Amino acid sequence: MSPFLFWIFALLTLIFGAAVVINRNPVASAMSLVVSFLGLAALFMSLNAYFIGIIQVLVYTGAVMVLFLFIIMLLDLRAEEGRQINWLASAGGLAVALILLGQIFSVVGHLTIAHKAFPPLPGSTIDDVRNIGAALFGNYNLPFQIVGVLVLVATIGVVLLSKRQPR
Amino acid sequence: MTMITAPELEIAVLVLGMAILLVEAFAAKIDKRVLAFVGIAGLALVLVASFFVTPGSSTSQATGFWSFYTADRLSIFFKQFSLVTTIFVLILMTDYAPVLRSSFPGATLQAGLGEFFALPIFTCVGLMYLVSAIDFVFIFVSLELVTISFYVLVSFTRRNPITLEAGTKYLVLSALSTAFLVYGIAWIFGVTGQTNLQQIADALANPATDRNAALFGMVLILVALGFKIAAVPFQIWVPDVYQGAPTPVTAYLSVGSKAAGFVVLLRVLEPFLALPQTQRLIVVIALLTLIYGNLAALPQANLKRLLAYSSIAHAGYLLIGVACFDASAIGFYLVAYLLMTLLSFAVLIIVAQQTGEQIDDFDGLAKRSPFLAFAMLIGMISLAGVPFTAGFLGKFFIFYAAILQHQTALVVTGVITVGCGFYYYLKVIRAMYWQSSARVDKIPVNGLSRLAISALIIATIWLGVYPQPILDALKR
Repeated sequence: MSPFLFWIFALLTLIFGAAVVINRNPVASAMSLVVSFLGLAALFMSLNAYFIGIIQVLVYTGAVMVLFLFIIMLLDLRAEEGRQINWLASAGGLAVALILLGQIFSVVGHLTIAHKAFPPLPGSTIDDVRNIGAALFGNYNLPFQIVGVLVLVATIGVVLLSKRQPR
Repeated sequence: MTMITAPELEIAVLVLGMAILLVEAFAAKIDKRVLAFVGIAGLALVLVASFFVTPGSSTSQATGFWSFYTADRLSIFFKQFSLVTTIFVLILMTDYAPVLRSSFPGATLQAGLGEFFALPIFTCVGLMYLVSAIDFVFIFVSLELVTISFYVLVSFTRRNPITLEAGTKYLVLSALSTAFLVYGIAWIFGVTGQTNLQQIADALANPATDRNAALFGMVLILVALGFKIAAVPFQIWVPDVYQGAPTPVTAYLSVGSKAAGFVVLLRVLEPFLALPQTQRLIVVIALLTLIYGNLAALPQANLKRLLAYSSIAHAGYLLIGVACFDASAIGFYLVAYLLMTLLSFAVLIIVAQQTGEQIDDFDGLAKRSPFLAFAMLIGMISLAGVPFTAGFLGKFFIFYAAILQHQTALVVTGVITVGCGFYYYLKVIRAMYWQSSARVDKIPVNGLSRLAISALIIATIWLGVYPQPILDALKR
């Protein structure tokens, strides 16, 4: 992918990522997040990680964000729109973010590998689904199994906390 | 006797948890408290089995399963620690069950109890994996298992607005800390190309590796672990969550979650010890935590909130141990902390159901139940660090390690804040023994709780006089 496309998608991701926080309307926020995720998916694809890019679109942009929008619309959140902005807190948050940004820049600035030209990526293969599967079920089997337990606990928790009590 | 290997312990606990869930789902008619007793018995069995496991050593050449999981002495010790904690928490939960019933109005008497007893067992599995984890991928997954089960446990009595607030705060802030953890792991992976801690240490020894970027990643991970162990400045959530969560969960959070956090901290910091900045950073955090925790505890009137601030203060003492990188001092302190914290919470749960959680509600407890008052007395003097209690020796070993490393600032601040601690712990004792209360009726204690509290009292005093068994178990 040309650097030109990289900058377009990177800026898209960042600008709409910021828009998620800045927007007062929850629906607009959620839609910005969708665009931000799409930009991210494009970046993944530019690195030849097609499977992750597609999953990013299907799972996050498709399923998760639609669920988010559903819930936002069902709850009809109007209170957020009329809220006064606490400028002091915003300034504090901005300062922390800028300090972190400065820190990242200084670390990256001294990073030797960041100044070297990367070798071109090996040609794309269709195998990345198989590679991810082999890694998950092969070397990373143990963490993968624990994720199973984690999902079980999360399911129990969601059912328990959202269950309506009989009156 | 056939040999038992370490991974079988977690599998046994997992099977126990699933079995309890299945029985809960299909046997609707039984008294749900039976499930807690089954859980306690099963965990006790695993605890006994764990003493037959021979510790192995981890090598950098390990592949597959053993590149994620270590069964060294430290991990076996803390597996036993997690099991003991969970057993006591389940006992506390059976005492707490009546409160749970009142928060599920209109439902059957048993609603929600089965899950309340099953979830800590899954948390225990997470804790046991966490203390064995030597790979960032595995650390992340097991940490999330612990955290997600705590999300559910903290907000369990969600009809209570204070609990709901606690649950939401814990969820949001914990998710934020997880983001820091993942970002930090990404940096370290980016610099070293490894997720295994041993291989990261090898990569850092190589001069070609970029130290600054690795250090930046380490600091981000420190933020996430600082949240788990309640170190300043990542302690904002502690008082509200500790106060709002169901009391047995608060006890679990302050003992289990913190202990596992410290084990992970020790393991994660090990590769970075060669870098001098690491120790300086820990010293600063330890100083801040000591001062904040002890000063903020002074004006508290609610005992649960007081114990929350005391938990921050104790994280400070433990961080002195981390700064000196003395694993056995930390291990002993955590055992002492387990005993005295669970003792205090056990009494608090029983008394709070009769009167309340304020320190005033403990007025005249010595008249109403000399046994509970004595148990609280032992818990408080041990937390304060009076000689001949486990708490005193815990602090002694920590300060001794600091003196050996010439950490004068830490020792001086530590000793001053211990004096500060005497004031707020003795406030509780004063209420129990010197104040009189309008109510004089006796407070009943059931047999199991009486047994558990007696065991905790005896262990607190015994380890204060004869700490050798724990020190031997921790020796590498």
